[in-house]
Amino acid sequence: MKTQLKSSLNAGITFGIVSLFLYLIGFTTTASQIIQNLLKLKPASTVLGMDSLTFSFALFIGLIGLWAGVNQARSQKGQPFGTVLLSAVLTGLVHGLIVALAAYITGSLNASGVKMNTYLSQLLPASVKLFLFNQTPVLGALSQLAFLTLTALVGAAVTYGLMVSNVFGKLADAWRSMWKQVNAVPAIAKFRASPYFSYVMYSLLLLVMVFVPLRAGQYWNYTLGTVGIYVLLGLGLNIVVGLAGLLNLGYVAFFAIGAYTVALLTSPAPHGLVWNFWLVLPLGILAATLVGVLLVVPVLRMRGDYLAIVTLGFGEIIRILSKSDALTWLTGGPKGVNNVGGPVLFGWVFDDVSYLYLIFLSVLLAIFVTRRLQNSRVGRAWESMREDETVSRAMGINILKHKVLAFAIGAAFAGLGGVLFAARNQFTGPEDHNMMVSINVLSAVIVGGMGSIPGVIAGAFVLKGLPEILRELENYRVLAFATLLVVMMLVRPAGILPASRRKFEHENAPGNEGSKQ
Amino acid sequence: MIVALETRGVVKQFGGLVAVNNVDLVVPENSIFSVIGPNGAGKTTFYNCITGFYTPEKGDVLFYGESLLGLSPDQITYHGIARTYQNIRLFSTMSAIENIMVGEHSRLNASWAEAIIRTPRMVKEEKAAVEEARRLLNFVGLAGLGDQAARNLPYGAQRRLEIARALASKPKLLLLDEPTAGMNPNETAEMVAFVHRLRDELGISILLIEHDMRMVMGVSDRIAVLDYGEKIAEGSPTEIQNNPRVIEAYLGKPMSEYEA
Repeated sequence: MKTQLKSSLNAGITFGIVSLFLYLIGFTTTASQIIQNLLKLKPASTVLGMDSLTFSFALFIGLIGLWAGVNQARSQKGQPFGTVLLSAVLTGLVHGLIVALAAYITGSLNASGVKMNTYLSQLLPASVKLFLFNQTPVLGALSQLAFLTLTALVGAAVTYGLMVSNVFGKLADAWRSMWKQVNAVPAIAKFRASPYFSYVMYSLLLLVMVFVPLRAGQYWNYTLGTVGIYVLLGLGLNIVVGLAGLLNLGYVAFFAIGAYTVALLTSPAPHGLVWNFWLVLPLGILAATLVGVLLVVPVLRMRGDYLAIVTLGFGEIIRILSKSDALTWLTGGPKGVNNVGGPVLFGWVFDDVSYLYLIFLSVLLAIFVTRRLQNSRVGRAWESMREDETVSRAMGINILKHKVLAFAIGAAFAGLGGVLFAARNQFTGPEDHNMMVSINVLSAVIVGGMGSIPGVIAGAFVLKGLPEILRELENYRVLAFATLLVVMMLVRPAGILPASRRKFEHENAPGNEGSKQ
Repeated sequence: MIVALETRGVVKQFGGLVAVNNVDLVVPENSIFSVIGPNGAGKTTFYNCITGFYTPEKGDVLFYGESLLGLSPDQITYHGIARTYQNIRLFSTMSAIENIMVGEHSRLNASWAEAIIRTPRMVKEEKAAVEEARRLLNFVGLAGLGDQAARNLPYGAQRRLEIARALASKPKLLLLDEPTAGMNPNETAEMVAFVHRLRDELGISILLIEHDMRMVMGVSDRIAVLDYGEKIAEGSPTEIQNNPRVIEAYLGKPMSEYEA
């Protein structure tokens, strides 16, 4: 009983702090606005006697309250109904007390004319009022207390009911048995095991990739293009970090070299070389690859942290050089390069749709190359280097050669990404190539799952696509990322879609999911 | 007698410390040769001099009459020397069979370009590599565990997998560094039988570092004893067992000598 009491109190305090934090950073207001928009409520309309924003806020804080109750019921699994309810009420009370106290204090301060947003910029009078359900401080605080206790109770009761009746378990069982029956049909089982299954899947994917750009509109095509370029960068860095285990924090340098190559060779200023895009494309890749090879020479004997620091410095050197006064004659300086030439095929200028196809094509090419390399002697050598460089040498692997190869191929992908990026934006400048690009790409690889191609794609979508979808969260992007990364590392330390190992011993065994992908 | 490995006056120093001092060894082909000695006697350092991780200050290492001095560890593997480690060092997240396939690296030829194009030669080579890895897995008694991650295998299986990985390069000489460390008597007896199989079935020479006296006496054709980096004795197991210097190195001098 004592431990249950303690856990209820603990949970209440935790939820209280979370709610308080969300309030202090103004997230309660933003979330309410988002809910209002999602439900398509008009600002002037009233719902259940409240104006629509207050109603949305009640929904939001109510969800947190429910969550507290659900959480309590789950942690008290196997306890009698009374105990579960009691502990949920206790959690709700503690949660509510903390929130009510905060609401009362901020509410009365606000009422007496103290401008709290001078100290906490998001704590605007409107936010405070909303947090009090547009009531007086005393009434608002009491409503919070009552509401959070009630929602915790409801959440716990409903969860208890669901757990006892095992609804989800039964549903999952039903789903699984249905899936089994479908797979038991000989024709379907045979089809799934045949190589045609993957062809059909790939063609479906291809169809989506062909049709989505046609219907998505310019804005989404732009966003998808950015995601695609990040997938390309992620695939390259995945070879260097994920497969070969060389922590490279200056990956943006190769991206910059690709971008500047296409910019300087196709733009009328500063050099007046207006070369053809298709000619410059391979040159950009080549330039990035060469720099990749050159960079390996000084960092050959470095491992881990030292390598990370040196590459970090290298990335910054390239960016600073690109904006330095001394090199303005060459790079265009801090202003960057405008009017970068784009691809033209037989007199036909690429629009957003066809450019997106070009990006997709490049991504497919990169996936193809990565897969082929990964499943070869070279890929195995890289992975063994990542696991244990010393032993890898003792296995007869030429470390120098394989490090150069990893850096060169990674740099080639980044160079291609840079060319596509600069030519699409028709501009490139030093600030396109700051350290955050390296960090973002690395995060995409880690969040997605090191060494895993689907993981890199998922990671790029999460890091570059989600912020676009969640535009309204703009102010909280960094917060959301940080939270996401922490949660990811706790819940799925190997990434969203971790690398699956190929099966070799039982390659053709039935029901072997690994070899089909 | 064909000599597989010969060291001549090998010296390795770390600052003022002489870790290996003037060690001469002759390992005949197709024999099991053991190097024993108390902790810190320089056995592993000596191994590292042979496999190219350290370059000896003086002396020479000859493999079938050819000097290995100045070659890098990967080149030495190409010459036909493979090793295992005292503390198991597998590629832990890779599967057992992939570990063996990494071991095959030095025998395969496909370049990165061939891997991308998948030339018929590369495809054939890969197929043979998988086949060979499966065969080795069977040979060390790990059939059925090939797709497990190496780190998930039981301890004894990891030891055997490490040997399979070393065998994958088709070595002429295998260096085993305390293969029975942490094993119980039953497992040790199995390992002794296994080492004999390696020599008899595969015809390779074996250089062994070991602490377990019972294992060493049971398995070796010839034994050398190192103490403070110097070779203090060499001979057959019975000769070594009765050598007073060896007993002294392991157990210390008899009390009577201190009193004198």
